[in-house]
Amino acid sequence: MKLLEKASRIYLIASLLIYVAVGIAFYWIINFMIYDEVESRLMVEKQDFETYVRANDTWSNNSYFVENKIEVVPVFGKFDNKVAFTDTLISNRYDETADPFRQLTFYTLIGGSPYRVAIRKSMIESYKLIEAISVAMIAFLGLLLVSTFLFHRVLSGKLWKPFYDSLARIKDFDWTKNKPLETVRSEITEFNELGDVMEKMASKMQHDYRSLREFTENASHEIQTPLALINARVEQFIQSKDLGENHTYWIEEIYHAARRMSRLNQGLLLLAKIENQQFTEQEELDLSELALNKLKDFEDILQHKDIRVSLQSAGSFRKVMSPALAEILLTNLINNAIRHNYTGGELRLESGVDYLQVSNTGNPLKSEPERLFERFKKESAGAESLGLGLAIVKQICDNCELRISYRYEEPVHSIRIML
Amino acid sequence: MKILVVEDEKGLAESITDYLSREGFVCEVANTFWQADEKISLYQYDCTIVDLTLPDGNGFDIIKTLKKIAAATGIIIISARNTLEDKLKGLEIGSDDYMTKPFHLSELNARVKSLIRRRNFGGNNDMTWKDIRVNLPARKVFIKDIETTLSKKEYDLLLYFLSNIDVALTKESIAEHLWGDNMDSADSLDMVYSHIKNLRRKIVEKGGKDYIQSIYGIGYKFTAP
Repeated sequence: MKLLEKASRIYLIASLLIYVAVGIAFYWIINFMIYDEVESRLMVEKQDFETYVRANDTWSNNSYFVENKIEVVPVFGKFDNKVAFTDTLISNRYDETADPFRQLTFYTLIGGSPYRVAIRKSMIESYKLIEAISVAMIAFLGLLLVSTFLFHRVLSGKLWKPFYDSLARIKDFDWTKNKPLETVRSEITEFNELGDVMEKMASKMQHDYRSLREFTENASHEIQTPLALINARVEQFIQSKDLGENHTYWIEEIYHAARRMSRLNQGLLLLAKIENQQFTEQEELDLSELALNKLKDFEDILQHKDIRVSLQSAGSFRKVMSPALAEILLTNLINNAIRHNYTGGELRLESGVDYLQVSNTGNPLKSEPERLFERFKKESAGAESLGLGLAIVKQICDNCELRISYRYEEPVHSIRIML
Repeated sequence: MKILVVEDEKGLAESITDYLSREGFVCEVANTFWQADEKISLYQYDCTIVDLTLPDGNGFDIIKTLKKIAAATGIIIISARNTLEDKLKGLEIGSDDYMTKPFHLSELNARVKSLIRRRNFGGNNDMTWKDIRVNLPARKVFIKDIETTLSKKEYDLLLYFLSNIDVALTKESIAEHLWGDNMDSADSLDMVYSHIKNLRRKIVEKGGKDYIQSIYGIGYKFTAP
């Protein structure tokens, strides 16, 4: 839920509760006052009535009007001498509707015999008053509620605007680019402080990213240059005419070791670069088609190892990713399928809208399949394999949000990459 | 043919100049950016080999200057940086080739020769050695003036040998020349062997001599027997 929505919702519920409570209390107070007023008037009339009866010792029940109606009824037998107020409805003698009355009941002696006296006062006017006041109050409170609610919304929207603008800029911020983060300045100190902190963090991130990138590049340079020197010196050395068999063997070893080290260094640097997300270029690519083209590069070796290639396509696998990474991914997958194949084997390339699968015939795995994608995990002790190929494949998949799975159905190994 | 080698690693610069001098090139070395800057403004070179990372400057700037004052000079970048961006940038500002360290001297030699050939003759020339003649634009090979059909890889292999006459070539450098960097399996060495066998057979069949000499444990040498 958004901050503004949440705040207005809480505000709305809280003010609704308060307004309802205020309304009820107000209604109750008015009601109480009106009853108090009516009752005190009834009490005064009771006094008048008693004074009259005491002076005349008689009562003629001749009042005609509804108002100030006094009903005197003789009582026989026992009665509970009590003064009580009650609400009652008396039917209107003209239109047969029942009108509300407040009634004071008490007992008194007239001419020596007991009577129950009920003095009534119509509440029609009072009820109308209460109604009018209530309606007015509800209307005013409602209006107040709506207007303060709207005001609150507009105000918060205005107050939080710099925050949301800054948030949008932070979302757009890319630490691999050189453009610094600029948050929106406003009159509110907290937002400015937040902006300062974010800008500081962003520039630190850019700086760290740059130095990491520079480090990997420099490391590559520093290691490759002496290796280039070893290579060059070996090449010069083998030009001499008088090399013994021992010499050529040693030289070959040195040469191999240097080349291995160079490839290892390149592989590890590549892994680091992928991890650091240094391949930022994005493009929509048809991986199925790319894989097909890649296979052509391997034509010679496929022919040499007498590997049959079969293709199966149920649609092209499209993915937005770095072209350089896609190239490395497919090269490594196909290279892997060829290296671990046997002469006269088979290589199958299958693709669908959401997957690409490279399968190859090969000997069963000697180690657990889960460890297949680990670094320096080698199946064969062959010195040519570095054990980085599938680790790089896995790293690229992790980075491009692709899933990868391995399956073995004798004698076919399949590696599938999926969305 | 004059070549300038701009490389700060002295040993590597020395190796390159030694190797290329054997091939008949006149080489000069610049170890720093300023040396290189001075040399290119004073002398004319047919080809310049430039390392991108120099202690006091960037190789790209040398290339830019070169393009301005001597556009005919061929430029080959040698760099430890193997990112695509660097390669594209290098080609964009006018270099002719990009090689990633570590490289084979024989490969560098072949590329320098091919570059100079392209620059001087526009590729419209023959390459002749003993009784072998290669017509480059048509990609045709004649042994004792009899045309021989070679596969694409055999043709590439022959050109590589012809660029490195009398030079011991490692199997690895040949494999890399033919299939590039990512073919790193042991199989590629077997393939080199079978291509060499075929090439040798085709040359001998047409009456040529067996110029390909095996060097035990190392590789091959193309030489007059």
